[in-house]
Amino acid sequence: MGLFTALGVDPRNVVFSSDTSEEQGRQFGKGRGTVDCCYPVKCISGHYGELLFGQKQKLDILFSPMIYTLPSFMSGHVARTLTCPRVMAAPENIKAGFVKERDVFAEAGIAYAAPFVSLDEPRLVPKQLFEGMRDVLPGLAREEMARAVDAGYKALFDFNDRLRRKSREVLEWCAREDRPCLLVLARPYHMDPGIGHEIEVDLQAYGYPVLWVQYAPVDDDLMAWAFGDDIRAGITKSAFDIHDVWPSSYSSNTNEILWGAKFAARIPWIACVIRLSSYECGMDQPTYTPTQQIIERSGTLFFSFQDLDSTKPAGSVKIRVETITHYLQKYAADIIAKKKAAAPAGCPLGVATA
Amino acid sequence: MKLVGVDVGSTTVKAVVVADGKAGWQDYQRHNTRQAEKVVEFLGRMEAEAGLTPGRDRVFFTGSGAGFLAPLVGGKLIQEVVAVAACVERLHPDVRFVSEIGGEDMKTIFFTATGTGKTKQVYMQSACSGGTGTFIEKTARKLQVPGERLAAMPYEGMSLHKVSSKCGIFAETDANTLVKTGVPVDEIIASLFEAVVYQNLATLTKGNTPLPEVLLLGGPNLFFKGLQEAWRHHLAKLWAQRKVELPDGREPASLINVPTEALYYACLGCVEIGQGEKPEVGVYQGADKLKWWVEVGQHEAKAKEGARGLIAGASDLATFVSEYVRPAPAPPERAPHVGSVLIGCDFGSTTAKAVVLSDDRELLFSCYALSKGNPIEDAQSLFHQVREAGFTDVGALALTGYGKDLLKDVLGADVGVVETVAHATAALHFYPDADVICDVGGTDVKIMILRQGTVADFRLNSQCSSGNGAFLQGVAERYDIPLERYADRAFEAKAMPSLTMGCGVFLQSDIVNQQRKGWSAEEIMAALAAVLPVNVWIYAGQLQNLRAAGRKFVLQGGTHRNMAVVKAQVDFIRGKVPDAEVVLHPYSGEAGAIGAALCAGDRKQQGKASGFRGFDAIAALTYTTTTAAETVCKWCPINCTRTFIDVQLPGAKGRAWSKVPLAEGWERVISGNSCPKGLVEDVNEMRVVKAKLEEVKREYPNVAEMVRKDAFRRVGAGAVAR
Repeated sequence: MGLFTALGVDPRNVVFSSDTSEEQGRQFGKGRGTVDCCYPVKCISGHYGELLFGQKQKLDILFSPMIYTLPSFMSGHVARTLTCPRVMAAPENIKAGFVKERDVFAEAGIAYAAPFVSLDEPRLVPKQLFEGMRDVLPGLAREEMARAVDAGYKALFDFNDRLRRKSREVLEWCAREDRPCLLVLARPYHMDPGIGHEIEVDLQAYGYPVLWVQYAPVDDDLMAWAFGDDIRAGITKSAFDIHDVWPSSYSSNTNEILWGAKFAARIPWIACVIRLSSYECGMDQPTYTPTQQIIERSGTLFFSFQDLDSTKPAGSVKIRVETITHYLQKYAADIIAKKKAAAPAGCPLGVATA
Repeated sequence: MKLVGVDVGSTTVKAVVVADGKAGWQDYQRHNTRQAEKVVEFLGRMEAEAGLTPGRDRVFFTGSGAGFLAPLVGGKLIQEVVAVAACVERLHPDVRFVSEIGGEDMKTIFFTATGTGKTKQVYMQSACSGGTGTFIEKTARKLQVPGERLAAMPYEGMSLHKVSSKCGIFAETDANTLVKTGVPVDEIIASLFEAVVYQNLATLTKGNTPLPEVLLLGGPNLFFKGLQEAWRHHLAKLWAQRKVELPDGREPASLINVPTEALYYACLGCVEIGQGEKPEVGVYQGADKLKWWVEVGQHEAKAKEGARGLIAGASDLATFVSEYVRPAPAPPERAPHVGSVLIGCDFGSTTAKAVVLSDDRELLFSCYALSKGNPIEDAQSLFHQVREAGFTDVGALALTGYGKDLLKDVLGADVGVVETVAHATAALHFYPDADVICDVGGTDVKIMILRQGTVADFRLNSQCSSGNGAFLQGVAERYDIPLERYADRAFEAKAMPSLTMGCGVFLQSDIVNQQRKGWSAEEIMAALAAVLPVNVWIYAGQLQNLRAAGRKFVLQGGTHRNMAVVKAQVDFIRGKVPDAEVVLHPYSGEAGAIGAALCAGDRKQQGKASGFRGFDAIAALTYTTTTAAETVCKWCPINCTRTFIDVQLPGAKGRAWSKVPLAEGWERVISGNSCPKGLVEDVNEMRVVKAKLEEVKREYPNVAEMVRKDAFRRVGAGAVAR
């Protein structure tokens, strides 16, 4: 929104495709599928279809950037912050299903823009977006795009900061009340109800606040408290250095998941970690064992929901959720006490630790 | 010279005799898994009725079952899709899309005109029953729809219901649910047609649009009028949506055709291709070799492909028996129990069980009741038995199983324990170092993987019949062997056929096939026990790597009372995890109830008094049941006919807002719903529940919810940055 409003687009004229759903796929994506075993990528057909055929408002441009790198809070501490190559290439892949026989975009009078962007290299982005958008936005000036990109980053960082502040508030509340919370380790698309199936919402309903690693609080004081000992011992170079557990730190989301495991292991009130991953995810598979071991070694509960795809297995999720909440009720207080005892002194969340 | 095309499919054999370019004799028949026999019969008839002559005429075979038959009679094998495509190209130059649906497979062919000719794109699947003829027929059989009626049933104008399109077994379950809720059979069948067309379009088009003209081939497309209608409906819609131009303004329906010869296209295509072959190819050698194979050869093959029996000899059996076979624990003679007891109840889908433990966690008593569909009556029966056995002072009561949420308040239970926790608690009580619990019941399979004393992962499969006890029981019954004798008989087998892991539907036809080869009842029963672990762990449980799960395995659940199954399980697990310790839970069938009782014990230890309503109160429970238009569930189109069981309970709040109002002092139990949603009465209750939930959510925030709300907000940059 920050980018487009700065380019002078009326906010009401920016339309997002709705949350992923089976209906959306059936209605708009049927027969447009491409050969890809990644469920989140497959879903994009439905999103394209909805934007092409399912709008009251006549759209001019379908914007679906090919994102190569992500602006991560771990940038600079890890090898790279690349996106998953499948997801990056998904726009081209999905587009193929709409132009294979006839150019559906041309027929609908919608210009297709899939600029390649390295979002973790802000200085490249204005050029990339300018090149990628000049055809669909006639008269676009380079400087105009540069200003818009600045505005876009500002909106993004403000958004991130706000959510991180929220997460910190949750942790401070937990620390004050000595109550448990949950941390979800997943990829960002699992926040989409059609992909993550709102499994964490079912747990939340039992009275547990839910944090996501993407918006973990990363303030200096908290990081120094949680990771300071490791740095002083020479195990890691910084709070966001994960080479001790994950040497090939090139994938942004994978990095954050691994870091999240370390974070969860060190924060006493994160009594339980929920891992979500989609069917046959090749990026996630090698991370299952390390994340599980890091978390369980700290005595934190760990439950994982793997192979998620189009349908929410409601019955089995219900049983799982009840299983998890049973053990949380039974063990959370002990887990918090044990982790507090093991944590360094001077917790910045407003309570005394050992 | 005559040319013969023979198509040996998964359910039928078809053949056509062509002389001088004209098709003459033709027939198709179901082979009921006796493919070779049917082919012998057909060849004999063609010799007698159509003058098929060895040494002169030529035969060409196609179809999934033709591979090993063709060479036995001198025939040449032609790939089935190639055959169909050849025939279509000759007879219908304008066709651009073909769907051929068979008994157990489905194919699509796309023809695309290029500058010089046509290219073909072929897709096929034969691994799963979704989208095939069996998918429709299996459910139709269950609904007792005779073949002729099925053929004439319409699609147009029917209301459709949600039926799983992916799997025949799930579809049957869905259909059962629909029947129970009173949906007319016509509508269910129409929904099956819908599911088949959907499945074909969804999986076998791969981004191509089926363009006119369209040809529908194969038995189901030919015979089922409704399926043709479903194709016409969907293709016309697709064409309108994708703005496909139709030739000369023709009606879409007229561009979708089912030729009267639809069954024989593969046969005709064989002949078409066969004509182009060198004259010495495919010359008919007579049916003698094939007859020999039917009568002798296949039985010889039996001996070769068989595996050794369940036991490797007397010493293997002796070791197994000494390790695992224990006489049923005799009810200990004891003085009447004094003091309070812990009660655990497991309300399952078919039975309800109760156990009584002493405060020292010693099992004192157990009983069960076959479920009659009313959980209150089931509970009354259990508590009647418990009281008759002399227990009066209840220290704590815990429930588990499907009925736990319904009955918790009515019985005054202290804890509702989810099934996984109940089973894990029961196993850990006897084996504190257990890593994996495998519970195989009559209708479901549960695998629980334990870590840190918790159920870290579990697999539940209650929708697939392969791997559960009911399937074994069904086969034993067919052989007229009582279940208690199963193991003894199965251990007698010195060899056994190897059955294929997987779908119960296919397993059934595999058994028929093996029987035909001469395997006896005990050999097949041994084989069935041997394949059960594979189905349990790999097919139903989707667990490839047992070693990663741990090394101490606990077997429980009613099906593990069958020692043949236990033996197969032990061998299977040790085959995967050589140092595995496999133990049999001493109370296989009651583990759930015992686990609940143990949880009740934990609670009692915390010093909390029990809320148990008392035996008198339970026996005297006053209740009314209502099944009416107002109780029908409106949450989804299935519209379950629920029953409201209203129980008089002091202190209950009643439901003044309900369409079936309930006075104060009454509590409502809902049954007859097929999913958890149905436990919520209607929109009114949903509002009450939602409001409560929203309050909880406000108090315990979820970062993702804020993301969902804020990330896509359509406001200016300034506002976002607020």
